[in-house]
Amino acid sequence: MSKGFAKVSGKDGSVRLSGVVGSARFEEAFATKVAQRRWGVALVSLGIALIGLWLMFDIFTAAGWTALRVVDFALFGVLFTTLAFGFTQAFLGFLVLAEDQEPLKITNTLDEETPLASTAIVMPVYNEDTATVFGGIKALYDSLQGRGELDWFEFYILSDSTDPSKVVEEELAWADLCRQTNGFGRIHYRRRKLPSNRKSGNIADFCRRWGHRHRYMTVLDADSVMTGQAVSSLVRLMETNPRAGIIQTMPRLIGAETLFGRIQQFASRIYSPIFAAGLNFWQQGAGNYWGHNAIIRIAPFLTSCALPELPGREPLGGRVLSHDFVEAALMRDGDWEVWFAYDLEGSFEGLPPNLTEYVKRDRRWCQGNLQHIWFAFAERMKPISRLHLAQGILAYASAPLLVLFIGIGAIQSALDHLYHKAADYPVAAAAVLFALTIFLLFGPKLLSLMHLFAKPDKVRRFGGPVRVIAGVVCETLFSIFVAPVMLWFHTRFVLRNLAGQTVTWNTQTRSGGNGPGCLDMLREYWPLALGGAIFGAGAWWIGSSYFVWLLPILIGLWAAIPIAWISGRVNLGKNLFVTPEETEPPRELTARFELQLREGDHFVHAILDPFYNAVHVVLQRERKAHSSAVSGYIAALAAKLFKQGPGALTPREKRILLSDGPTMARLHSLIWKTPTHQLNPGWVAALSSYRANPQRARPRVESSV
Amino acid sequence: MAIFSQYVEHLRIGIHSSPEWKEAWDRMNDYLGALRLPEGLDRELILLSSFERAIGRKRQEPSTPATELVFDETQKILDRSLGHLIDEKVPPDRRSVEQRVRLFLTETPDGKIFPEEGVLSGEVLEALKEVRLRTSPHLQVASVTPRPFEMTALGANLVRLAAALSPFGANRIIAWCAGLAIIGLLVFASR
Repeated sequence: MSKGFAKVSGKDGSVRLSGVVGSARFEEAFATKVAQRRWGVALVSLGIALIGLWLMFDIFTAAGWTALRVVDFALFGVLFTTLAFGFTQAFLGFLVLAEDQEPLKITNTLDEETPLASTAIVMPVYNEDTATVFGGIKALYDSLQGRGELDWFEFYILSDSTDPSKVVEEELAWADLCRQTNGFGRIHYRRRKLPSNRKSGNIADFCRRWGHRHRYMTVLDADSVMTGQAVSSLVRLMETNPRAGIIQTMPRLIGAETLFGRIQQFASRIYSPIFAAGLNFWQQGAGNYWGHNAIIRIAPFLTSCALPELPGREPLGGRVLSHDFVEAALMRDGDWEVWFAYDLEGSFEGLPPNLTEYVKRDRRWCQGNLQHIWFAFAERMKPISRLHLAQGILAYASAPLLVLFIGIGAIQSALDHLYHKAADYPVAAAAVLFALTIFLLFGPKLLSLMHLFAKPDKVRRFGGPVRVIAGVVCETLFSIFVAPVMLWFHTRFVLRNLAGQTVTWNTQTRSGGNGPGCLDMLREYWPLALGGAIFGAGAWWIGSSYFVWLLPILIGLWAAIPIAWISGRVNLGKNLFVTPEETEPPRELTARFELQLREGDHFVHAILDPFYNAVHVVLQRERKAHSSAVSGYIAALAAKLFKQGPGALTPREKRILLSDGPTMARLHSLIWKTPTHQLNPGWVAALSSYRANPQRARPRVESSV
Repeated sequence: MAIFSQYVEHLRIGIHSSPEWKEAWDRMNDYLGALRLPEGLDRELILLSSFERAIGRKRQEPSTPATELVFDETQKILDRSLGHLIDEKVPPDRRSVEQRVRLFLTETPDGKIFPEEGVLSGEVLEALKEVRLRTSPHLQVASVTPRPFEMTALGANLVRLAAALSPFGANRIIAWCAGLAIIGLLVFASR
């Protein structure tokens, strides 16, 4: 229990209960309050769901019960309850924000006077854009330095990169960043040669190596940016709340350039505050962890959060793919609290630039969430943790359920049409159910707008009222038409995972200019258009009113190709979808960082460039003499590379060669001292790029975070 | 001085009139450019000194390519010029690499490099000699051991059911047939 919760216990916030903080009476009062809130949310959600079920029951009773309608009713129950729960959360969040005085939130305990503690800033990376990664680190480094708090923090870039060019680029970027900031000994770079267990394995490896060195770790994603103030505040919150194991922040989306990205960024910025406040309202210290932009207490993380192997093989068994929800559940299992600092400013992250990349990310997340089914049925899990896991599963599993619901409804309608059974639906009940569904779906958007317009200064930061309303209307239309596309893909992913197909671990594309071209879109999305045409023809055959009823879904499917293509373009909607991070960006987002790196294949530069080569060579672990077989193999690789040119080796062979410093140093001298006629043309071309040219000699990679 | 400049001019003409030496000149010029040594007198002097020695060596080693001879001689000159930046204990085969690292570290934001003796303070020089580029701190090893994964009774039954059904799910034809059969049954019952 946190003492700060007592801060605003009186109506005017003047009555402080600090005298009873930590006492059994206070703990009991807090537990009672939280229990009341949870029961309240459950009852309101179930109440709304029961109204929907009653209306549906009325409709199906009038139409006549059949086996298909029984199944449809059951599916409706699951889907409508999920919808009702989401709405309830948003509505309660709206009330919390409207009252502007939430006594039960972790940030009430923030005291700027609280001393800091040793904290690791941890950024796991995997073949990511180097300028983005090191730009984010530099922004936070400067921010903390500006606050005079740098001494408490150390930075760890934990690389699992496998691309040889990226490996060299990261090393040089690390050295360059340290050189520019005088950050040697404070900014660390570690690359795993065997990246087992992906991101969770990467973090676990950090914990094993340096877990006893720091009290906390703040985990960042490759495209995360946090302000020094946000990170310091997280440490102080941890210090004042000794039972807190994890505190998750609410990252704002930033940096979108494409229409798709800008719409997502805008939507998240407008709608997420009420959902976040509502989420905190009921979950309190039983929150969730989203894998980054959060602080973790390392000691309990070491003892409680190691990930077990799941029963069976991938995709649903084996190693845990999506670790964050599970780590939060395991932390809770160890009787530690997991909090959501939803109103802590200064936490940002990037997002996929187009629909295709978004869907690819969802494919990984889908498999990761479906794996959680085992944890939902594991021993010792707290009920709220099971609920979080179930919500994660339903985020994807609800897609095939909805498809089944629509499909069964269509089959029933087709049967009615075929056997000339005119279903006698009660119009009033159907209209009320329709209106209720629309309200539950779009009500949170309306509530978000109401919340925003209650604060004119905030509206100005979104570009003014006209832009906000136009943006919300366009976003709503976009989300309606994209929903069937997501439905299609999520259904496919779930079915594929259930059928035993697993995903590969690819680097996430975080920026991509104009994205895939029209032909790529055609290849990717044609089944949706075809499926939409077939489904549309069937609906038309059943009846024109049924066809009109399904039109929003059908349009989404038919227009999937142009929607995906156009929304992936940059420079569209620049005047719409404005967010406060664009109109009044914090300093950390505007800082420009110049990495002095060469362009081109960095593996080649690691051999030719005197500095690249030297930095890379000294960073390799000094080994005792290799066995003769290994030495012979490395010598053979070097000879092959020299004779056949820079493209002769496979990525694996390049990595092996890179790991041998002395051989890399020898190759450097060998190529520079060999006359042109004895060199492979590939090396001659590579050397020609070093022809004295001031611009090439001092290349710059700029990153605006 | 007149003799010296005349000698340099002859040397330069000699180098540029022979394709082999010309190639070596260009190569070394590129190398020093990659080392961010600014074009000017310093670079010119290093090059000419290297070539003078390399030409001398060529008489004893006619089969050794000019590029190799010049590279080696340039390296020796760099070793002498930058020897004050590194510790004397650094083994010969490592000196070139360590020198380059120190050049990299001492480059100023405006691109100035090549610190000559006397330019750097004694304190900085000592620090440079001792510098050892390390990417990560010393290990402070901790143990991370997962607890055994235990299922509830319901979960255990679910695992058994999933294991029993997995052969059907993994076979696409059987999965489709089973799915369609269930829907067919429902349709039949709903006529």
